[in-house]
Amino acid sequence: MDEPRTITESDLARIGEIVSEQSGQKWAMIPLLQRIQDEFGYIPPQSIPLMARKLRLFPSQVQGVISFYTQLYTEPRGKKVVRVCRGTACHVRGGKTVLKLVKQQLDIGEGETTPDLEYTLETVACIGVCALAPNIVVADHVHGHMNPKKVELLFKHREVGE
Amino acid sequence: MQPVTITLDGREVSGHPGMTILELARESGVDIPTLCHDAHLTPVGACRVCLVEDERNGALLASCVSPIVPGMVINTQSERVIERRRTVVELMLASHPDSCLVCDKGNRCELRQIASDLDIGLVRLQRIPQMSTIEEVNPFLERDLSKCILCARCIRACQDLVVEGAVDYFQRGFATIPATLGGTPLENSECTFCGTCAALCPTGALMEKQEPHRGTAQTVVETTCPFCGCGCSIRLEAKNGHVVRVTPGREGAVNEGTLCVRGSYGCDFIHSPERLLTPLIRNCGGFQEASWEEALDAVAAGFQRIRDEHGGNSLAVLGSSKCTNEENYLLQRLARSVLGTNSIDNGSRLYNSAGRIGLGSTLGFSGTTSHLSELEQSELILVIGADPGSSAPAVEYAIKRAIRQRGARLILVDPRQTKLSLFADLWLRPEVGTDVALVNGLAKVIVDEGLLDEEDVGRKTDNFAAFAEGLKEYTPERVEEITGVPGEQIRAAARMYAQASRAAVVYGTGITQHTRGTDSVRALANLLLLTGSIGRRGSGVYALQRENNAQGSCDMGALPAFLPGYQSVADASARARFGERWGASLPDERGLTALEMIEAASEGAIKGMYVVGENPVLSFPGSGRVREALGSLAFLVVQDMFLTETARLANVVLPAASFAEKDGTFTNFEGRVQKVQRAIAPPGESLPDWEIVLRLAERMGVPMDYSSPQQVLDEAVECCRLPAYSLYEGVDYADAEAKSLYQAETDNYHGVGRIHGGQFPEGFARFCPVEYVAPEKREEDYPFTLLTGTTPYQFGVGSRSSRSARLTKFCPHSSVEMCEADAAKIAVEEGEEVRVLSPAGETSAMVKITDTVSEGMLFMPVSSPQTPVHELFGIVLDAESKVPAMKSCSARIEKVSTE
Repeated sequence: MDEPRTITESDLARIGEIVSEQSGQKWAMIPLLQRIQDEFGYIPPQSIPLMARKLRLFPSQVQGVISFYTQLYTEPRGKKVVRVCRGTACHVRGGKTVLKLVKQQLDIGEGETTPDLEYTLETVACIGVCALAPNIVVADHVHGHMNPKKVELLFKHREVGE
Repeated sequence: MQPVTITLDGREVSGHPGMTILELARESGVDIPTLCHDAHLTPVGACRVCLVEDERNGALLASCVSPIVPGMVINTQSERVIERRRTVVELMLASHPDSCLVCDKGNRCELRQIASDLDIGLVRLQRIPQMSTIEEVNPFLERDLSKCILCARCIRACQDLVVEGAVDYFQRGFATIPATLGGTPLENSECTFCGTCAALCPTGALMEKQEPHRGTAQTVVETTCPFCGCGCSIRLEAKNGHVVRVTPGREGAVNEGTLCVRGSYGCDFIHSPERLLTPLIRNCGGFQEASWEEALDAVAAGFQRIRDEHGGNSLAVLGSSKCTNEENYLLQRLARSVLGTNSIDNGSRLYNSAGRIGLGSTLGFSGTTSHLSELEQSELILVIGADPGSSAPAVEYAIKRAIRQRGARLILVDPRQTKLSLFADLWLRPEVGTDVALVNGLAKVIVDEGLLDEEDVGRKTDNFAAFAEGLKEYTPERVEEITGVPGEQIRAAARMYAQASRAAVVYGTGITQHTRGTDSVRALANLLLLTGSIGRRGSGVYALQRENNAQGSCDMGALPAFLPGYQSVADASARARFGERWGASLPDERGLTALEMIEAASEGAIKGMYVVGENPVLSFPGSGRVREALGSLAFLVVQDMFLTETARLANVVLPAASFAEKDGTFTNFEGRVQKVQRAIAPPGESLPDWEIVLRLAERMGVPMDYSSPQQVLDEAVECCRLPAYSLYEGVDYADAEAKSLYQAETDNYHGVGRIHGGQFPEGFARFCPVEYVAPEKREEDYPFTLLTGTTPYQFGVGSRSSRSARLTKFCPHSSVEMCEADAAKIAVEEGEEVRVLSPAGETSAMVKITDTVSEGMLFMPVSSPQTPVHELFGIVLDAESKVPAMKSCSARIEKVSTE
């Protein structure tokens, strides 16, 4: 497997380009962070000094802002984000087991990403469709009424691929 | 503005609009506890300990961030307020370890004090265990974030005061910590170990690391830092005759609560085991310990014999830009009235005199024309030939604050990358030694494009026509050829500079220590005059001084051509005035400058020398020749704290006290006179320099009638007509408030001390056309251009800093820096020991590969005694100022053969 986590020279050049297009004002930091994350899926730490320079801030300040928001990431994320609901309704209907099964299927823990960068596993407090509990969300698609069979089906192609 | 009146604890008090409740309370003598607040920091209201209550609506306000509003009825001590404060502090204690008994912060811990004041007793909340200490490998400070209360004092100190930005909050909620980029240890981050944060930290989260520097101090004395020319005020905290800690002074108007690594951690040289404790007399090749009686007898007899046999002109005195004003005054009096010679100079000759002469001949005033606080008001700052981050950190902080907080622009002219490069709007990298051409080029663009301040030029200056004529050849294209700076950049810089209404120029030894240093300074002065940048608020020229009392030693007349107060020795009336007072007739012939003394010594014209607090063998160019010349003297007396390379050549060595062991004054680069106060007793039999000089004079049969440094300064003030000093007249040191006195001066005095309101001392300033002269062609065998400079972790030639345990531990090696391409070309590796050769000499150093120098350039810090960089320099003097060229030379690198 090639190493998808390394940032290449051309990636850095691209980040430089994005940074240079942005306004040098401090308020531009969040949009800038979002643009980089949109394009790369995460904010490569190497981009922090570039942004800091442009925004006339310190790298530690930019890092501070990134670390403050849970939806900004400094590590690569999977193409598909799996969110297992841990809300009350889902819990009552076996959400905990669903989470365990997903962990087994993907072989990663909460907040982790598969080495092939396909999946990132997260939990959420409630996604608002308690009628379908237990729920999981895969790449923004809600899968309701989860059971061990359905979990297996959802990730079946992975095993085949490997 | 209408004052705002509020009711504070039942009392009516008024303050000006915009004032916070806390400020007004403190002014009115009402005590409100605080943790995250500090006078030097922007208030953020992070800790909530300063809560007060507005009786009208029951609102609880953080007093440090709440402005006063008319009609407020504030209670600072009501039951509700106290209860809330208790809760806040209890919450902090719930996640704070119970290690107070063994915590070194001990009685200095503000959290503990407040907890005790609020009578917290037991913490009733569930405890949140904290992660353990983060161990750092640096010798300066230790971070234990389990004791952190997230007050952000360190973060604000780092970002707002010293503007390094090494730390900021990381994560949020319970996980929050102050962290470096990537969470690396401090030594791998931007941190410069300035110690500002450690001094501000209210708890034990940031503390001194090493054993002798811990514990609670018994006495605290506010004095002035002995290292660079900034003159930061420092507090020496002493315990049992030992200085345990140095923290930023509270009153200092220069440093505003900041310090640098040298100030915070470098002063431990005063307890070096190498301190001289008794006088030493050379006999049969070795030194023998002697009593003061014997030593002074020997010195007096030695000088008397030479004076009587060969005349006073065969004696020379080297005063010190590190000693106090009083000591330099006494020394020059000793030289002139007792030894009978005008050959007295001081160490600042090596870097400062080009500036004095260059500015003197154009502005008519030979120093910095404004205050450091005004530099922060500048719209544009041109930094040329200076790396203030290493040589004058307080100035660098001010520049960075101006940029970050006030939006000032920065033009940096430096062939080498420094910390300021990241802050620069324009960074010009000229070839070494081409400053005159570059500055003339800027002036030319300004004149051609009509960007000059015609009114100022017409009204306050003369000789403009000749100057403009002289600029003719310096078109951007030609200057590009000479300097290698693209013409477009020159144009852009000139426009940026001229269009700023408040422009300041900061220059350092990168300008003055070249062969044509005086001309470069003149070129800069011309540039300032062109745009009327002298005498306006937020503009002017800032001449950085390398050493703490460079300005003062010159003011006090430790100069071969001037009596105290720059009164020429050729002036018969001045001579008579001083002669009468001192009961002697003074020599009228101009004496020898520092480097001329060395020449004269090797020729035999100088037979005896008295060197006080200088180490010419290392600090002068051509170390080998200096050593030979001083060795050939019939009689050499060295007065120092350590047995320096120079002292080893002496016939008699006199042990001197350090700055912490004496009283007096230093004058900083701005011309600010600040007091130096004794914190501890001198070790062994060593004595303050002033006392040694007085004893020596007495031994020579010419007693001087002073009993304290104060009396010396009183006399100097009376004779000198130097306004900055007159503020000290008749004021007891102990009472003198340097800060307020200094402010009094700036309010009332117009003229010599500062160029205010555009008033030049002579009424007008004079343009001095200067021509660029190409430096000598580099010899083919020496393909590199070597630059010398300072590092933040050492100072000068290291006589003191190399004896600071912590500084040496952190930065033990002297290196030669080169870029990767060059290292590959000559096949050397990082950390490899190499020989560095120049036409004049050689030394060795470790290779350090860096991207701060460009191809063909080498950089070496001057400060390691193991690597005498000045071996590489011949004695080439600037024609006018007699400053030796010791900033750059051509060099080559050779591998050390492995056999």
